[in-house]
Amino acid sequence: MKSIVLSSVVTALLIFSGCSDKKPVVDDRSNANVQEVAPVQTETISSENSSVYGYGHNSSVSGSKTISELENELSSIYFDFDKFTIRSNMQSKLSADASIVKNEANNYSVKLEGNCDEWGSDEYNFALGLKRAQSVKKAMIADGVAPTSITMVSYGESNPVCSEKTQDCWAKSRRVDLKLLP
Amino acid sequence: MKAIFSLLVFVSLLFSDATIEVIKKVESLPSIAVEDSSSEYDSTFKLRFYKSLIADLNVLSIFNVDRHYRHIGYNDLVDVANKDMDYVLKYSLSKGDSDVLFVDIKLLQDGEKVLTKRYKIGRTNIYMFISHAIAYDINKYMGQPSIEWIKRKVIFSRIVAPMKSEIVISDYTLSYQHIAVRGGFNIFPKWANKKQNSFYYTSLDGKKPTLKYVDTRKGVSKSIMSSDGMMICSDVSDDGKRLLLTKAPNGQPDIYLYNIETHQVKRITKYSGIDVNAQFMDKDKVVFVSNRMGYPNIFSKSINGNDIKQMVYYGRSNAACSVNGDYIVYKSRESSNSFLRNTFNLHLISRKTNFIRRLTAVGVNEFPRFSRDSDAILFIKNYKGQSSIGIIRLNHNKNYLFPLKYGKVQSMDW
Repeated sequence: MKSIVLSSVVTALLIFSGCSDKKPVVDDRSNANVQEVAPVQTETISSENSSVYGYGHNSSVSGSKTISELENELSSIYFDFDKFTIRSNMQSKLSADASIVKNEANNYSVKLEGNCDEWGSDEYNFALGLKRAQSVKKAMIADGVAPTSITMVSYGESNPVCSEKTQDCWAKSRRVDLKLLP
Repeated sequence: MKAIFSLLVFVSLLFSDATIEVIKKVESLPSIAVEDSSSEYDSTFKLRFYKSLIADLNVLSIFNVDRHYRHIGYNDLVDVANKDMDYVLKYSLSKGDSDVLFVDIKLLQDGEKVLTKRYKIGRTNIYMFISHAIAYDINKYMGQPSIEWIKRKVIFSRIVAPMKSEIVISDYTLSYQHIAVRGGFNIFPKWANKKQNSFYYTSLDGKKPTLKYVDTRKGVSKSIMSSDGMMICSDVSDDGKRLLLTKAPNGQPDIYLYNIETHQVKRITKYSGIDVNAQFMDKDKVVFVSNRMGYPNIFSKSINGNDIKQMVYYGRSNAACSVNGDYIVYKSRESSNSFLRNTFNLHLISRKTNFIRRLTAVGVNEFPRFSRDSDAILFIKNYKGQSSIGIIRLNHNKNYLFPLKYGKVQSMDW
């Protein structure tokens, strides 16, 4: 579990004090009718020093490839719009990925990161990314990868690989990335 | 005579239904002008306050608001240009000790004083809360239904870079912003209670998605639970004791009910596809999004039963919803060809009628959230590269947008 560093930044967030239930009446004694908006202290939680789990590692057993080198050999698996079934043209890439995970990377667990295009930030889009990861997981298990070595997460639309408003860019974002964890 | 009475009753019933869109009001709105009488503060701040007040009065949707800035003495007659206005709001900003801001207001109707009040706030740079309070009081004076939502705080997640976000607490216009959780990848914030002094959010920084809880007064964060794949707090019960969660153990997103006192977790849905975004409805039901028909749509079911019911019969892809009483607002994809003119619009339905009201027209409109009194709907709009939070005044058929200066709104609650 990561430590949460409490910063010293304290900001005032305001709520309105309750308004009078009385009907508004004209009152020229301005000081007798002051509504004070009371501040509420709101702390800032800072997790700036935390890093995404599994990243930044580059350990290697002597003579073997590093995590980064192995990850570079893994291919992302791409999906059609609003779909989470594996496309036929992705099967060979998936088999190659499974082979690397089973053999050269068998000392690591694999994290499947499901991603979506920018069309929607709601829960459904996150679930779609997850179902894509689950499809890849099932295929990898069928190819002989141990289920216990696989974890999944969805980043929804929050981890795009490009920002252009084009079909090509959106297609690149509908993917599952494979990351290795020590 | 009886027929005319029946017709009147029918018309009144018709217009009490929020799914009926008011196309044209017979009566024009009363006019209002705003006059600044401040002798203190520089012109920049005075203009900033004026703009905030004008924006709030506009959102009330009960006035034709004049936008000309005029500086007139507090006890002088109204500016000659405003003499034909139905209402004139005079205000004066003055400095107190230690950065305290006082605002005196005087609402004049046909030249007669009808409402005066003095407001005080501890810091000048959070003036917008006084502006909201003034609008709230004027709305109340005008005899309009309460707009408690104008007092509520908005909490949203802002994506600042791939897998980097901030959780921000703001007023409804985004004028005031406080970053509550800085750094990391944290999304789907949800207020934990009506008082809005604590909230839940999903942290994606760990090995598994984790639901966290923050007490905003103490700045204390604690982990509630983790789940493989997904872990999102979709809704909090009115008493704050039960949470509807989307969890995905084994990669299977389903809806769960969590009791924060007993720590009991109950699985609500068991479907091999996608079940997400559950909202409490009535005493013992939930509304949720599911793809059990091959595309995302809105369904309901009892918490303890298996009586799944389709709630929405319009739209090809309805992937998010919010419920309040008999009303459901949902997000629907308008185009079957997603990339030619892909717009997501919000629609409103009533459980009691067959009417559907489209609430937005262009852009990607999503993440609808009802106000508690169902008077307004807050939503996220992304259009032409600009991310905004919008507010829909249902009874006035008006939408207002408040753009974000940087980043993109991922999700929000209010």
